[in-house]
Amino acid sequence: MGISRFVLLVFTISMLASPALSDLVLSKVDRRIYLTSHIVRISSTLEVENAGPETVSKVLLAFPDLQAQNLAYLMASPHEAKAKFKVSVVSFPIDVVKPEDMPPGVTFYSVSLPQGLTVGASFTFDVLAVFTHALRPMPEQIGQADIQLVLYQDSAYYLSPYVVKVQSLSLKLPDSRIESYTTLESTKVQGSEIKYGPYENLPAFSSSPITVHFQNNLPFTIAQELVREIEISHWGNVLVTEHYKLIHGGAQSKGEFSRLEPQARENVQGPSAVRYLVAHLPPRAHSVYYRDAIGNISTSHLRGDSKKAELLIEPRYPMFGGWRTAFTIGYGLPLQDCLYESEGRRFLNITFSSPVIELVIDTLIVKVVLPEGSSDISVAAPFFMKQCQETKISHLDIVGRPVVVLEKTNLVPEHNQYFQQWEEVRVAIQHVHNIICQCLATHDKLEASLRDLSRTGEVQACKAARKSTDGLLKELSKELKPLMTFLQSSPSAVQVLSKVEELVAKERELLEKLMAKHSTAVEAYDKKSGARDIESRIALQQQKITALRQEVDDLLEFIDEI
Amino acid sequence: MAPPAKPITSPVSDAWYPTLALLMLSIGLVVTASFFIYEATSSKRNRSLAKELITGGVASVFLGFGSLFLLLSAGVYV
Repeated sequence: MGISRFVLLVFTISMLASPALSDLVLSKVDRRIYLTSHIVRISSTLEVENAGPETVSKVLLAFPDLQAQNLAYLMASPHEAKAKFKVSVVSFPIDVVKPEDMPPGVTFYSVSLPQGLTVGASFTFDVLAVFTHALRPMPEQIGQADIQLVLYQDSAYYLSPYVVKVQSLSLKLPDSRIESYTTLESTKVQGSEIKYGPYENLPAFSSSPITVHFQNNLPFTIAQELVREIEISHWGNVLVTEHYKLIHGGAQSKGEFSRLEPQARENVQGPSAVRYLVAHLPPRAHSVYYRDAIGNISTSHLRGDSKKAELLIEPRYPMFGGWRTAFTIGYGLPLQDCLYESEGRRFLNITFSSPVIELVIDTLIVKVVLPEGSSDISVAAPFFMKQCQETKISHLDIVGRPVVVLEKTNLVPEHNQYFQQWEEVRVAIQHVHNIICQCLATHDKLEASLRDLSRTGEVQACKAARKSTDGLLKELSKELKPLMTFLQSSPSAVQVLSKVEELVAKERELLEKLMAKHSTAVEAYDKKSGARDIESRIALQQQKITALRQEVDDLLEFIDEI
Repeated sequence: MAPPAKPITSPVSDAWYPTLALLMLSIGLVVTASFFIYEATSSKRNRSLAKELITGGVASVFLGFGSLFLLLSAGVYV
């Protein structure tokens, strides 16, 4: 039923296909579909050529809706010579788009190229698409000793809104036992690899469905729910606790289960059962434990080297199709591996997803427990996820520790990238303090110039000093502005903010009075009035200035102590 | 990110936790013992409140820090 539905969909797409977008042409498409695990990875190398009238900076990728539902991870990166499906550091931004005049039943993603593609130029990039739940076990129920056969459906022609000049497809299977596969023109089987193509000059939205029925005895581990708790203690430890609820997602097990047979002839009986799981923990992980609701599980091995610590755990029973198990893994990491300080804020740099290899996670909940009293928390993650906050009361807590809860569905091992979490320590205030000190220094310079004036009577030098201090003060006030806006916007600086604003306002007042005094003094000297006269004029202003100066100094001391 | 990130470590090095716990707990217990001995050997008339309070305070500070480092050295990172 699934096959005919797929064929019908593909037929509909090719019938309703509109004329291709005329500006881009895919001159070469190389697709490699890796079916060597229960996670299907399609790595395509696309060479795009701009045959149209204008520069293009976005390339559209198309997936049929049925396939796009299972899409867990999509990444586009510049082409590397020895391409294997590893997560590259540089990647292009990808968005979901819904362009008009496109046939229904197709989901489109648009890749933004770093530089626009000029007319006549060509560009090669790699696209990695990872699909979960894309392999269907057929037969759906097997006995304990049977091998597991799965079905995979795709299209031999690359589905694309552009014309494709040359394309080829190769499917890599886990072993050479292939039940059946669709034979089209130019199909070759080499060991455990099926090659289709090369096909030339195909119009847009062309597709030809193929089905491969093959043996896949690799473990189909799916975690229905994984709750990962990361607790940070500033005394030197980050404690990670992971609660797993696993299910074997392959062909369901039917008939009787006998414990003797798998133990007697291990490799022959129950080849598709999950007997062990491997997890790659960070290198200096310590205090690793593995237990479940009953108690400690002792069938585990831990091996460490400088790059990772490899944990091999065996569940209490081998998991056959449709069976579930639940357990908890916990480990501790030294604090200096995860927590860093930069620009006055601290951030936690840690991997997001599970350390178990080749695990599909349906729902992942990550809870980051920060030390008591943390404020101004923000998360920077390489992909979108739901966030919320709660409180946890733990050892020696009075108020409780803030917890950031992140939730994401449909994850694959490619999602295991680093994410960061920031919490604030106020250093912007330190900057403000420095700037105010510099302002006061310029005030002192002005005063000094006035004193020189009274001694030597040279007005020009005084005016020059005034000009230079004006320039300096303008620069300092420019520096001050962004710091003030930052302090006003950050919620943790609320208590100090009033004092800082007062300080800035008083400093400004002081500056104005000083400038006024300076101008009157200079004017008086210009008019060549007597010394006594000048003194009396500026006496009142001088009093105010000294009082203000005292207040500013007090505020500066107060802020210094924070 | 322009400024380099500095890793944060604990203010007291990890290796010191058991030593500090032992040291502080033993000093705290010695001061507690001296407090009890003082209470037992002094009569109502020549007891001094100041000495009692000081001994009690010092003992509780040392016992408090000692129990904190005891928890940390046992792996309960509070």
